Amino acid sequence: MFIEIKHGSGGRPTQELIKEILGIYRDQSVNDLEDCALIENGIGVTIDGFTVSPRFFPGGDIGKLAICGSTNDLAVRGVKPNYVAVSFLIEEGLPKEELFRAVDSAYRVSRELDVKFIAGDTKVLPKGQADGIYITCCALGQSVTDRPWGVNELSPGDVLVATGPIGQHGALIAALRYGLDVDKLESDCAPLWPLMEPLTKIPGVKCARDCTRGGLGTVLCEWAESASLGIEIEEDLVPLTQAVISLADVLGFDVLHLACEGTAVIAVDPDCLREVLSSLKEKAPLCAVIGKVTDEHPGIVGLKTSIGGMRVVDMPLGEMVPRIC
Amino acid sequence: MKDKIELLRRALTFFAKRPMTFMEVCGTHTVAIYRSGIRSLLPPGISLVSGPGCPVCVTDQGEIDAAIKLAGKGDLIFATYGDMLRVPGTKGSLQSLRAHGADVRVVRSADEALSLALKNPAKEVVFLGVGFETTAPSTAAVVIEAMDRGVENFSVLSFHKLVPPALRLLAESEELQVDGFLLPGHVSVVLGSEPYQFLPRDFDIACAIVGFEPLDIMEGLVELARQVSESDFKVSLLYARAVRPEGNAKAQGLMKEVFDKCDSKWRGLGPIERSGLKLKSDFARFDALLKFDLKIEDVPLPQGCKCGEVLMGKITPKECPLFSKQCRPDAPIGPCMVSSEGSCAACYKYDYRVM
Repeated sequence: MFIEIKHGSGGRPTQELIKEILGIYRDQSVNDLEDCALIENGIGVTIDGFTVSPRFFPGGDIGKLAICGSTNDLAVRGVKPNYVAVSFLIEEGLPKEELFRAVDSAYRVSRELDVKFIAGDTKVLPKGQADGIYITCCALGQSVTDRPWGVNELSPGDVLVATGPIGQHGALIAALRYGLDVDKLESDCAPLWPLMEPLTKIPGVKCARDCTRGGLGTVLCEWAESASLGIEIEEDLVPLTQAVISLADVLGFDVLHLACEGTAVIAVDPDCLREVLSSLKEKAPLCAVIGKVTDEHPGIVGLKTSIGGMRVVDMPLGEMVPRIC
Repeated sequence: MKDKIELLRRALTFFAKRPMTFMEVCGTHTVAIYRSGIRSLLPPGISLVSGPGCPVCVTDQGEIDAAIKLAGKGDLIFATYGDMLRVPGTKGSLQSLRAHGADVRVVRSADEALSLALKNPAKEVVFLGVGFETTAPSTAAVVIEAMDRGVENFSVLSFHKLVPPALRLLAESEELQVDGFLLPGHVSVVLGSEPYQFLPRDFDIACAIVGFEPLDIMEGLVELARQVSESDFKVSLLYARAVRPEGNAKAQGLMKEVFDKCDSKWRGLGPIERSGLKLKSDFARFDALLKFDLKIEDVPLPQGCKCGEVLMGKITPKECPLFSKQCRPDAPIGPCMVSSEGSCAACYKYDYRVM
């Protein structure tokens, strides 16, 4: 057996690989598969590796992505990000200016979030043994909610809210990769803590997740499967930009599988929905209710289509490749 | 939109006085139908079956094996559309070859493959030409460009196929009872409506060329049901915003200039006369089959795989004994489960689980 590119898609093959790795750690690991672990004294820890091609793109770059991506994993568990430890793997021959552009934008997001850089490492690899820069970022923070947000808090009736248009990062990167027009596309790469912090004071917020690799569809499938609950969303309610719709159409991608880097889905008790929406509206005017959690069809995500039909939403099963015609 | 769909649904119910079976020929239609949930809105008498319109799915096992063999030869760049990556050959796939170090590149167009050849003059670049009348003209254009620029390190493995001969085979089949075809939108942009006229004329089969939006598809189904119920068989062009009756003369000209029609083997359908495209002798030096002295072997289908019957519309994906058990998108046995436009993959992804 060999590692194939599908193991990095974020979908089912990735899940299976992770399960296998955790199998080795059986008795030496925590059992929940959230993106951020909560350890003693409400400390939240996460780690994330970043590789993106191209390294600089409309709306962000690999440095900004590293800080946003790792601190967002904390933010969606109601953990205030406080510290980051960052490791850079750098390819020989990389223009120094590129490295420092990335470091500078990482610094700027860190300052915005008041996150301290507490440890770091650099390694340089011979030319050809890495692609420019890889960044690994470990983020630490303090849980500030009464009950930690997480999948096991989900219950039937919870309302699902998307904080903004989905798929923007994934659509942009796909467009760049396949040489398509990117005029109207921009990555949503942004820190989520400013959005999440006010929500930590609302008791009815249950669970949140940033919809990165694998997109909104994958997050919802993971929720439905691990909570053994059903999820129903409506196609017409999912916020999307025309540019993302067009790109997905051209390449034959499902918008629900396109990655976001600053957009989350949040499950909330219907009683506090209004409070949540009014809190989000100020910074995320395009946030929208997209569906609900139900006790029907456990483990399965259903989508009510624009024309009133029903279909299933699944995770991507491997690398997303453009269709032939 | 829901109101319009409801109107069309009522019209469909009105015309569907007896059970009718319609086949969508194009893979993009198959996906659109599953993705929009159209099936859940159809009146009970109407059944939809998928036809041989996914280019990956109809590529013969022997052709896939030949491609994999060539890509694994080493010391060349093998350029392919992404859909072909995961298709299992008798041994491995292009994707698994790539994991083992073969230089397999995903391109979105034939043009990109030629650019690879220009950028890597010391390496042979082979482009895997699959697809119907939609992709064949761009392969042709690139071959002409390679000729004009005197490119030496570029060749095409042409497994292009033509849609009308396959439709004739389906129309002539006695086992298959299809009342109408939803004809492919993209292919018709190139072909126009003329090449389908034999279907209503000789076989009393209803035909509609339609677009890919749910409304287009519903409108097409209503027209098919109307033709059948009124015995008014014709090729209705309902996708006039993209298709002209005469098609695209330039694209047709490119194909004629570069390719000769040849007999070709289709997965599931078997050999069909003059249904494939091979490079003309003037362009022989760009023909990868000749350049690398490749033979297409007669390879049996994997055991139990019923892709052939699915492609003929004889069974639905769920009726294949391997479906969702041994054959899943993450471990596909037949190509209908591999391609994103394959009817089995679309069915698995959008429809197979009971909600």
